[in-house]
Amino acid sequence: MREKATTLYLGPQHPGITGNMMIRLKVEGDTIVGAQTEVGYLHRAFEKLQEKRNWLQSFTLMCRYCVPETDPMEESYARAVEEIEGREVPIRAKYIRVMVLELARLASFMLWYGGQNGSLGLYTMGQWSVGDRNYILDLFEELTGGRVYHMYIWPGGVRRDLPKGFEQKVLKTMDYLEKRLGDYDDLMFDNAIFKKRTQGVGLVDKATAIEHGVVGAVLRGCGIKSDIRIDDPYEVYDKLDFEVPTAEGGDIWARALVRRQEARQSIRIIRQVIADMPGGSVYNKVPNPQKWILPKGDAYVRTESVRGEIGLYLVSDGGNMPRRVHLRGAAYVHAVSLLEDVLVGENVADVSAIMNSLGTCPPEIER
Amino acid sequence: MEKIKANLIEHVKSSFPEASATNHDGNRLDFTVKKECIPSILTNFKDILGYIHLSHITCVDWLEEGEFEMIYIVWSPEDKIKIFVRTRVERDNPVMPNIDMIWRQANTYEREFREMYGIQFTGLVGAEEFILEDWDGPPPMRRDFDTEKYAEETFFHRPGREDALDVREEIIKRSLEEIPDYAKKYSR
Repeated sequence: MREKATTLYLGPQHPGITGNMMIRLKVEGDTIVGAQTEVGYLHRAFEKLQEKRNWLQSFTLMCRYCVPETDPMEESYARAVEEIEGREVPIRAKYIRVMVLELARLASFMLWYGGQNGSLGLYTMGQWSVGDRNYILDLFEELTGGRVYHMYIWPGGVRRDLPKGFEQKVLKTMDYLEKRLGDYDDLMFDNAIFKKRTQGVGLVDKATAIEHGVVGAVLRGCGIKSDIRIDDPYEVYDKLDFEVPTAEGGDIWARALVRRQEARQSIRIIRQVIADMPGGSVYNKVPNPQKWILPKGDAYVRTESVRGEIGLYLVSDGGNMPRRVHLRGAAYVHAVSLLEDVLVGENVADVSAIMNSLGTCPPEIER
Repeated sequence: MEKIKANLIEHVKSSFPEASATNHDGNRLDFTVKKECIPSILTNFKDILGYIHLSHITCVDWLEEGEFEMIYIVWSPEDKIKIFVRTRVERDNPVMPNIDMIWRQANTYEREFREMYGIQFTGLVGAEEFILEDWDGPPPMRRDFDTEKYAEETFFHRPGREDALDVREEIIKRSLEEIPDYAKKYSR
């Protein structure tokens, strides 16, 4: 006998949902037959507010678009402003930016480890990885004064130089984290439950990925080698040696394999950056923010975050405020049109694992 | 890079003679077309030229010129070039062609622009409400929408928390306590 379809409202207050959003599910028994993403619980109108703030005030809102990884947005904004203005950035600042971006990636990977496993009931991993993430946040606190919101990468360079002995602390933390990633593998990737719950679940094939404009680890999990850091290199990524891992399958398992390797690549990049870091100044001073006027023009810059490509479109009309700021995060496509398609045919219990795996971040959708 | 760009300009000009191209530094190339050409030029880019990734769609309100500018940014993993396809649409009663049959994700952008800018997309399917809930005001991302004025008219201040109020004095007034002498110099 065919089950009668019912509507299930998942979220906005639900431990399995990654933030404040709701999914309206049509279910037959345990199987999902239709899904619709409902956002609107978190709209802060940042883009509108930025149109009434000068170039530096506007920068302070950038890191607040999405909490798990705040630096790619800052870096995008800084780079877009520099592109419009034609401002040079000191080479040392570029190296420091890459180091900060990769540290932010690592911190975000740690959150993902916790979230992905927590969504499947493996809570130990969350205790471990969020605990280890704190060592990275300690580094951020020493470098920038803030643990989560840094406001460190700003137009013209970075806000201040590295504190004395900071490189050694970073290297020590990297050694520790590398060891810990081995422990994570034992707990997560050698775990029969994790394999069973993730293999063949949340499938995204290559054609769907291209049709939906999928980016980041989700695209690499379909076997497509694509990374903004290689394809459209920014800062000093073109001078660094690292690999872009891919995996076949397009399920949660494949995406987890990709992220597992990417965390190690981030450590590799940080070590290289510290070894190669040149001396010199870190900031090409901008004029008085109240009188700082950018020439007419627009720029579209992209940054690779853990969730995927972040694109920022910035327009200047020749005044002291942005004409238009438009941020497009990975979740904007992953968590709306793609998620609605992927969820059909899946089990209700897997929704949260799929959301985590696709890098859902509601503040990126509604900004 | 420059050779690929020249070939691209030639190809686009042969199919769309009225399109104008602007070359930028680095890996960026801009095309400006009429809004009716948008679906056909994007299909051309996707299916023939290999620009398979729709990276961004954005809308800019040029209030002074009475127009919205729509920009579609596509990317080719082979050419490694960002193409900006730009078009203008009049601000009064703006109607744009729908492209979500080319890229499914465009649907999300179009729903947002319908809500935030009031642009209608022909044949767009999707819930009317996206981000805003029970909204009956003008589209809020338009330049002539004043956020501060709207907030002042729609919401009210909590009593004792009106703008430019000395909050310390209000709290003291409510709790019927005297301001201690040492604190008086800080009070307004």
